[in-house]
Amino acid sequence: MKRVIYAILIFVLIFGFIKACIRRDTADADLAKSTNTKSNELIFPQDQKTVTIEGIDYLQSQAPIGNFGGTFTASTIGEGPKTFNPFNTKDNISSILSEIMYDGLLTTHPVTGQPIPKLAKSFSISDDGKSYNVKLRHGIKWSDGKPITADDVVFTWREIILAGLGNTSIRDSIIIDGELPTVEKIDDYTVKFTTPKPFAPFVRMLSTPIAPKHIFESAAKKGSQYFDTFLSTNTKPEDFVTSGAFKLKEYIPAQRVVYERNPDYYIINKNGEKLPYLDRLVYLIVGDLNNEVLKFEAKELDTINLQGAKVARYKAMEPHSDFTIYNLGPNTGTLYLAMNLNNRKNDKGKFYVSPEKQIWFNDVNFRKAIDYAIDRKNMVLNIANGIGEPLFTAESLNSIFLNKDLQPYDKDLNKSRELLEKSGFYWDKKGRLFDRFKNRVEFDMLTNAGNTEREAIGVMIKQDLEDLGMKVNFKPIEFNSLVNKLVNTLDWDMIIMGFTGSPLEPNGGKNVMMSDGTLHVYNMRTEKDKNSPRYDFEKKIDELFVKGALATKFEERKKYYDEYQKIIYEEKPFIYIYSPTIIVAVRNKFKNIFPTSLGGVMHNIEEIYTEE
Amino acid sequence: MEILKYIFKRILQTIPLLIIVSLISFFIIRLSPVDPLAELRLNPSVSKETLEKESHRLGLDKPIIVQYGKWAKSFIKGDLGITSNGEKVSVKLKERIPNTLLLTVVVIFLTWVVGIPLGILAALEWKTYFDRLLTVLTSIGMAIPSFFFAVLLLIFAVKTGWFPVGGLTSANFTDMGLWAQIKDIVHHLFLPVIVLFTLSLAGLQRQMRANMLDVLDSDYIRFARAKGLSEFKVIYKHALRNAVNPLITLLGFEFAGLLSGAALTEYVFQYPGLGRLILEAVLKSDINLVMASLMMGAIMLIVGNLIADILLIITDPRIRVKS
Repeated sequence: MKRVIYAILIFVLIFGFIKACIRRDTADADLAKSTNTKSNELIFPQDQKTVTIEGIDYLQSQAPIGNFGGTFTASTIGEGPKTFNPFNTKDNISSILSEIMYDGLLTTHPVTGQPIPKLAKSFSISDDGKSYNVKLRHGIKWSDGKPITADDVVFTWREIILAGLGNTSIRDSIIIDGELPTVEKIDDYTVKFTTPKPFAPFVRMLSTPIAPKHIFESAAKKGSQYFDTFLSTNTKPEDFVTSGAFKLKEYIPAQRVVYERNPDYYIINKNGEKLPYLDRLVYLIVGDLNNEVLKFEAKELDTINLQGAKVARYKAMEPHSDFTIYNLGPNTGTLYLAMNLNNRKNDKGKFYVSPEKQIWFNDVNFRKAIDYAIDRKNMVLNIANGIGEPLFTAESLNSIFLNKDLQPYDKDLNKSRELLEKSGFYWDKKGRLFDRFKNRVEFDMLTNAGNTEREAIGVMIKQDLEDLGMKVNFKPIEFNSLVNKLVNTLDWDMIIMGFTGSPLEPNGGKNVMMSDGTLHVYNMRTEKDKNSPRYDFEKKIDELFVKGALATKFEERKKYYDEYQKIIYEEKPFIYIYSPTIIVAVRNKFKNIFPTSLGGVMHNIEEIYTEE
Repeated sequence: MEILKYIFKRILQTIPLLIIVSLISFFIIRLSPVDPLAELRLNPSVSKETLEKESHRLGLDKPIIVQYGKWAKSFIKGDLGITSNGEKVSVKLKERIPNTLLLTVVVIFLTWVVGIPLGILAALEWKTYFDRLLTVLTSIGMAIPSFFFAVLLLIFAVKTGWFPVGGLTSANFTDMGLWAQIKDIVHHLFLPVIVLFTLSLAGLQRQMRANMLDVLDSDYIRFARAKGLSEFKVIYKHALRNAVNPLITLLGFEFAGLLSGAALTEYVFQYPGLGRLILEAVLKSDINLVMASLMMGAIMLIVGNLIADILLIITDPRIRVKS
């Protein structure tokens, strides 16, 4: 008798456990829609504007007035910062954590994405598009009380950025025909930048932090090797002299970074009180996504980014919990499928891609047929749990340069078959696809193993393409081997990969899009093939990227970049798949939360306050 | 004098061992397909010049044997080199070693203080209800995978809110008084210590119990009892001293595990110790950091064995006579 009772008890326990596990992990088609409504309710405050009080040019917040005090705790995933020197950062986390302390001359408008003044009072671009006049604020100070002047700006640009100290990626990106821009001091509060040619992306570079000359000068003089270790994670917090809303208070490796409020910041509220409201800003360093979720649920975190399946669970929890979920729209990532259009031979005289495959891949009808066979909606629903949007353009969906005329379309196998027939492909009785030289259509499709999202996409694309009678050998391989294939050996047929683009500056993608780029995935050229013939559409894209960088007016640039997106949309060297949506949860006790796609939750950190 | 000579000989023996260990580890890491620059290569905004500069800085443009020579030369000089981010390896290790030691020392101390007496007791009370109960408990302790147990405890912490979810200190740690700080650390240490403690306690208790039973069954114990010695003397003077010998060897291994034994638990609890640092270093093929940790592990193992052997010489006259 006893045994029976035990058996039943154990059965009930196991059943309950299993049921608890499976209950919520199902896709929810309406979810994306229901989270969408949230962002519409937000009423953004007017833009911050400059006001002058007793000779000091403050920036005034127009957001509702709040209480002072409190702590906001966010998180970073991974190992934490490698440096707190904003000019040395090579990874995203270090950049975010160091740039909290150092403001740039300009910043990005969180909604429109246009450059707006921050540390600068105002800026203007000359009509020829070559010179940028930046006026600084009077009377604002570094955290040690020294004024912020044109000398700091000139020093930062001349001695650090243009001199090639630290991370040189900014310098590399503004070399125009082998020449660098110049910077000169007009007076104590005016600086003029001149580029050798009109170069529109330059204005974004003015968001780079400005360094205090009196602190950085001696380090810069000691050369790049010393500069690489300057203001490292081992530097004492007192040694930082900063201009941002928050200043480092302590850094505990593998645990957290704590910032305290800058009491003399130059942004004020409508009452004229100095912001930020919060006393403290804490970033917990968490090892992985799962731990982040646990910390949020244990209330150790105040905000979290939510992925796929978790959104459904949080959405269900939201009504009776202390947080609100915001939908920030598609993220900047672009997941794509690409075919190897390389028709050259390697050093040993062997083709990178076998000749019969070259004929297929170089045939735009073949590429389009594949494109029409892919069921993006299904993928969004099943892989991204409905939290994403089908993608058809080279620019990400939140890019300010997105070409909105390029219409999305659904899977259409009939159209695929038509296109294939047009190019002489045919099917045998078993429905297998052959080309006009009677070769069976069979190729390898690669992606990096371990990325479950891409692996799932690969499986679905394989099924979609098998509907067309193609034989697809889907092989997830190790990330490093994949990169090696992509950039060195070039022996691959088809890949599924993703890039993170910039939603503000298409020129950042020139290494991918231009035919001599270092990451021109679909037709990589090695050193010896540098001058090999280009496809017509490659030539056109090259031309548009050159023009786009030289044009200065946004509208004119948009025209060029619209055109390049259209070419990619029609020629399909990249077949884009979908963009996941950014969903964040923030605790309700925090007010003035205006998250945007471009700025995230923290873009107005100085305005955020807590009700407790 | 004999002992000093012995120690010297042992240290000399370790040198070729260390060279072989370092060679094998270095080549395995470098020959694995992990490319420390893979992430950078796939970043559209990174220029070719930056890539070349990085590969030169990390020495990836030279043959492996040259890279090894460079590493070995600076290692002998006591310089552990820099990580792939340009931080000093020695500084990175110094940040983490105290945390890991805090965890492992507490765990080892607790297990030995609790495990040995429990083992003796179980042996003395052989086949009583107490012994059976302990057997069941230790079997459970040995059967639960540490990883799973740690995750269960984490969920427990989240659901009840009684314990912090990982980490070592709270966000406002520096503003606390000394007592509050100690309390905070104990609060954070509680769960990871429970995980490691349960696991190693089970093993140690079983081992002690088996040794003790072995000894209690031997002729000389029977003889001692027959001679009319008090039970106390029989057990603590004769049985225990003989039963504890194998455990001294075990202590040597425990010493080796001081720095690396808790890696998995550290990872689950997001404990800021060496485990997480090394795991991340391995994933990125951060050669100097990985090599430093591997060499540290090898040296700790050798030193641990040496200590155990010396202790054995002291406690066990038989070994002294042989050598």
